[in-house]
Amino acid sequence: MESIAKEKIIADLLPQQFGKKGKIWVAILIAISLVGLVAYARQLQKGLVVTSMRDYVSWGIYISNFVFFVAISLVGSLITAVLRLTDVHWSTPLTRIAEIIAVAAITFAAIIIVVDMGRPDRFYNLFIHGRLQSPIIWDVIVITTYFFISILLLYFPLLPDLAIFLKLKKTANSRLRKTYSFLGSFWKNTPEQKKIAEKSINILCIIIIPVAFSIHTVTSWLFATTYRPGWDSTNFGAYFISGAFLVGAGGVVVAMYVFRKAYNLQQYITDPHFDKMGKILVMLALLYLYFNINEFLVPAFKMKKPEEEHLTGLFTGEFAPIFWFAIGTSMFLPILILIFKKGRKPLPAFVAGLLVVIGSWFKRYLIVTPTLLHPFLPMRDVPESYKHYFPSWEEWAIAFGSLAGVLLIITLFARIFPIIPIQETITETEQHERV
Amino acid sequence: MKGYKQTVLIVVLLAFVQAKCLAQQEKNSLILNVGYYNLNNKIQYLKATTKAKIDGKFQLVPGIHVSFYITDQTAPNLLGKAVTNEAGEAAVAIPATASNEWKKSPKQSFIVVSEATKEYDATTGNADITKARIKIDTTADKQITATLLEQTDSTWVPIAGVDMKITVQRLGGDLDVNETPTYTTDSLGMVNAEFKRDTLPGDEKGNLVLVAKVEESDLFGSLTTEQTVPWGKPTTYVSEFDKKTLFARRGKAPGWLKFMAYTIFLLVWLSLAYLVVQIWKLKKIGTQTT
Repeated sequence: MESIAKEKIIADLLPQQFGKKGKIWVAILIAISLVGLVAYARQLQKGLVVTSMRDYVSWGIYISNFVFFVAISLVGSLITAVLRLTDVHWSTPLTRIAEIIAVAAITFAAIIIVVDMGRPDRFYNLFIHGRLQSPIIWDVIVITTYFFISILLLYFPLLPDLAIFLKLKKTANSRLRKTYSFLGSFWKNTPEQKKIAEKSINILCIIIIPVAFSIHTVTSWLFATTYRPGWDSTNFGAYFISGAFLVGAGGVVVAMYVFRKAYNLQQYITDPHFDKMGKILVMLALLYLYFNINEFLVPAFKMKKPEEEHLTGLFTGEFAPIFWFAIGTSMFLPILILIFKKGRKPLPAFVAGLLVVIGSWFKRYLIVTPTLLHPFLPMRDVPESYKHYFPSWEEWAIAFGSLAGVLLIITLFARIFPIIPIQETITETEQHERV
Repeated sequence: MKGYKQTVLIVVLLAFVQAKCLAQQEKNSLILNVGYYNLNNKIQYLKATTKAKIDGKFQLVPGIHVSFYITDQTAPNLLGKAVTNEAGEAAVAIPATASNEWKKSPKQSFIVVSEATKEYDATTGNADITKARIKIDTTADKQITATLLEQTDSTWVPIAGVDMKITVQRLGGDLDVNETPTYTTDSLGMVNAEFKRDTLPGDEKGNLVLVAKVEESDLFGSLTTEQTVPWGKPTTYVSEFDKKTLFARRGKAPGWLKFMAYTIFLLVWLSLAYLVVQIWKLKKIGTQTT
């Protein structure tokens, strides 16, 4: 009986070849990424002048994208580490989805920072001449660390699954077999190996939480350590962390729905998963709303002159449509959808997750750019184009290229490796049956 | 027919008058103020300020070419030429070449002429002054006496009833030496002030610079005299530049920051190194099991 169940789980969760839809999806992602690459080649050739960034707006959608990627990557620590350490088992099928989102997002967070540099060939100077006192150096260190931890956290639970593949004759594709063999041929499922792996995963789960908090707190400090309206806030660390958990959880819900649909995983990613993730999303949206109220209400109550211009720009000025769209889509609408039981069914939960992700991207844009357009000293004797910011086509192409890149990593990973941990699912099913 | 011709004539005439009026309206009138300055009884210079009413308010006008003359507007009496800066100011020191004209009389007239531009007509401004100077005397008990003297032929005589300020230089500005902001010269041309800024930091020797000045007098222009006195608190400037601070250069990070950062970094990365070793260990166990 157990063997049948085991075989079924393995058969269900084995990576599948792309169908027609899958191939079209990958082709679209590659095409968008290539357009982004062409745009970046133009930027390398002509310099940052091809962007709309000028003297005042020196951080545009590249940095918005960076903050977004760092934020969404935090979900790895939430789903994998926090839920695992608190002995929550229902999240097991979601851990790998969360981890690959984390790895893909943090990879492109690092790449987009280099894209934002006018002279990427001088990147090494950051390490040679970087100051330990600068939050930028802390960010470089913490992103590297988080990337490494996420890779390890993805790798350790993958080892038993790799061994399963290698035993199967079905995985005959020689290149894939070589990859599996290189990565996990040494896994023999011995008690000693299991003990070491379990211990390592626990260590990683403990380390990743403070590192994840650091990564986004430090990112918030890139802004908060400057004395500028909109950034000069002691609330920024918590505000960023809560927002990051929200967008990460939203991203996982979206990915859950897509993988469930694409790979027929209804038995593994079930309605209760959406129900529980929906509840988590509501809680995180309320938490983020709380920090938003803190972030905007207190300065709006005081309305100090420099803050006034920034805040009125957001509330009723040129940024008001994006601001209220972001607040509505990332918090209010998802809460309204998910607060009802029917709203936590797969499709409405997917819609709510998508709204969170889209709204959160715009929220990051609003954190980065409007402040730069409201300096303390009035903008005088500058061309009109310096006073406004709308990204050039190169910036859009690179931004969408990077988003496509993240999705491409996730898609290709799901093609090569099981998106739901096989061995852990088998173990939990067996334990469940014994109970 | 006659009436038609008259109508055409009137229309043409009106159009001409209107065009003329518009052409005249296009040019703003430039206000040219001239000031005479005497610094430490050594450097005498003239400053012209250009202003115009633009969009209903007075604004400074940069880029105006101005010529400075002494006595009259003739080529030999040209003191110099300058262009107004962003603050609408242009200055010229009275050169040694003008010493003959300068010494002719205790009273002097200065004429400043601005060149016509597209926006402004040529404008003339002038300043008539009587040569005067300020003398500062101090006593050990920090009493300051400033005397205002006017030149009459070859002698200098005191002048009464002129407002004067006694200040001390501080952080790029002037600070009153006590609570009295302005004094008026007595019949001996004198004002007396007590220095009450005892705790004011001076240079390494405690030196402070006292300043006595008459500002924008119609008769004498602006006169300033300075004198250094050792009445301040000796202060040695210690540069913070090379100290270990959060805002210092690379390599000058505070010790506590270095300790915390390196400790956290090492703890995390040593743990990760330990985990990498665990992978190697897993590999070893797997190989042995085979």
